[in-house]
Amino acid sequence: MTDNTATLRSTLPRSTKSGGWLSSLLMRFEALRGYLLLSPTLLIMIIGICVPLFILVGMSLWTQHGFEFDKSLTLANYFNVAEQPIYKALLARSILISGGCALATVILSYPMAYFVAFHVHRHKMVWIILMTLPFWTSYLLRVFSWKIILGYNGVINSGLIGMGLIDQPLEFLLYSPLAVVITLTHAWSAFAILPIYVSLEKIDRSLLEAATDLGDGPVRRFFRITFPMSLPGVIAAALIIFIPTVGDYITPTLLGGPDGIMLANLISAQFGKVNDWPMGAALAIALMVTVALFSVVFVIISRKVTERIT
Amino acid sequence: MDVVDQLHAVKSGKLSRRAFSKSLLGVGVGIVAMPYMSRPAGAAAADQATYFTWGGYDDPALFGEYIKKYGEAPNLATFGGSEEALTKMRSGFMVDVSHPCNADVPRWIASGLFQPLDTDKLSNWGDVIPELYQLDGIMVNGQPYMAPFDWGQTSVTYRTDLFDLEGKEESWGMLWDERYKGRLAVLASAGDAWWCGAIYAGVDFKDISSKVGFEKTAELMRKQRPLIRTYTDDETTLEQALASGEIVAAMTWNSSAVKLKTAGVKVKFANPKEGALTWVCGAMIRKDAPQMDKAYDIVNSMLSVETGKWLIGENGYGHSNVKSFAQFTDKQLDELGLNRNPAEVLSTGKFMSPQSQEFETSMNQEFEKIKAGF
Repeated sequence: MTDNTATLRSTLPRSTKSGGWLSSLLMRFEALRGYLLLSPTLLIMIIGICVPLFILVGMSLWTQHGFEFDKSLTLANYFNVAEQPIYKALLARSILISGGCALATVILSYPMAYFVAFHVHRHKMVWIILMTLPFWTSYLLRVFSWKIILGYNGVINSGLIGMGLIDQPLEFLLYSPLAVVITLTHAWSAFAILPIYVSLEKIDRSLLEAATDLGDGPVRRFFRITFPMSLPGVIAAALIIFIPTVGDYITPTLLGGPDGIMLANLISAQFGKVNDWPMGAALAIALMVTVALFSVVFVIISRKVTERIT
Repeated sequence: MDVVDQLHAVKSGKLSRRAFSKSLLGVGVGIVAMPYMSRPAGAAAADQATYFTWGGYDDPALFGEYIKKYGEAPNLATFGGSEEALTKMRSGFMVDVSHPCNADVPRWIASGLFQPLDTDKLSNWGDVIPELYQLDGIMVNGQPYMAPFDWGQTSVTYRTDLFDLEGKEESWGMLWDERYKGRLAVLASAGDAWWCGAIYAGVDFKDISSKVGFEKTAELMRKQRPLIRTYTDDETTLEQALASGEIVAAMTWNSSAVKLKTAGVKVKFANPKEGALTWVCGAMIRKDAPQMDKAYDIVNSMLSVETGKWLIGENGYGHSNVKSFAQFTDKQLDELGLNRNPAEVLSTGKFMSPQSQEFETSMNQEFEKIKAGF
């Protein structure tokens, strides 16, 4: 790096002559070059994320009166969020559902990723493509197909009745938090398989051989070498699933039933039929902050655990 | 890189990550560019007016005259409740025509998005039943803002073979029946459910926004919550659940019962002793409609006899064109729960009345809470 800068500096006079003021400016300030290279991304970040977030925070401090916003700043909406039990309960439920979903996804995806990383030697790419195949269909379509599978006279219920195992359809399958967890787990599995696969693939195979040479059986070897070394992928997968699923509202709407709705459903209602945008903004921010807190705590704990076992 | 190379690479397991990403990029660009390539064919849809309506009304059968004139149905978008629709339009969703119900009209006018109708531009206006546009709030200074289109009822559709009335009269209490816990369903939009709850609670619609009326209704809706399998705005979900026996009684509009009967399911659209909820809905045109002439053509074809025939025969709703009823025999109308003299049904109906925006908000807020279990 320093070498590079040195060469650039040494060529500076010549390029100033031929290039004009812009290139001389670029040559002189390294930071400017950096920002210019970043600029497309930076621009999208500012327009697509920072500005809307700023608007959201601003709006959450207003209050709604009929069609109009009362634009005097107040924390009333946040007090409302803190005081009313419904918001806390739905927040807790959202966290539980997404947490359960992240856990289930990681547990189910790990063996798949493991198999491809260690036991598939040819056509790995094809296996990976096949595993991400469900992602090629629309999210809504996948949710609907779960509705058909879990439904009252759906695939599971009619199968079990056909085998004579039950005589009444199992009603807890659909319109329950369980249905939401199952659907989200399937819908997001590819996002877990890929990071876990990458971290497993990176493990130096000679470490495993060394462990075997030193007398570890396959189980001990897995828990002492493979699993700790794949933890970064597992943590990444868990976060990648947890963060977006907390805000999901399509799946709970279609499959959750009265007991399966999440905070995001309430947020969308505030912006729709309830017509109280400032309250919706406050809820969205409350959800965002909670998710951030949970993620930070999760990362810290998992880092501690990783240090312990490696 | 060519496709055969690529396939060969996949076959021999030598497809590199870079090559894979590259082909993914290619596919992505291809998909994004596709709409532009077929521009000449696709452009027609953009030229049509947009009709924003309740789920279930997004059917080309409504627009016979329009299609004859322009060769294509208008663009259709749907909503689950009129409050949701208004919020969407107020936040910038541009449509030409939308479909509120009588009680919504004053609030929709107050939003400043709509214009009074120029009835001279509607050739079918002369046949519209006057009682429908003389309802509270639809006319301002002698000019109608909403062209009445459909009218009907919200009531209980129940499975006659699964729901045992035990010789009692049909009543809204069927949706509060403890015996069928977990096998009942209710519409998710407060615009229907809350008003039906108020009828069952014995709250006069004049008092629905009073504190006592509000609390009485809320209490009853809360009592109902544990019995409900699902709250949904999707008619198809309700119809399928009724057909499979997953639920035995549900709050629906006329059409669900008619469709299920046609499919051979043993259902009845109840006539509750407390009275069913009656509504009249229709078309409103936006002030700044991008396709004003076509907007009027949408409304006009909705008012036509041809559309009325479909609305009455296939869906069991009343139509606003008096001539539509002439297409049916008394017996047919009777089976659908309709009457050749609509004024008669309308005069006995329990009509939603226009309410303030504050009431709508607090009602929706409360109902969302109740549905979530609080």
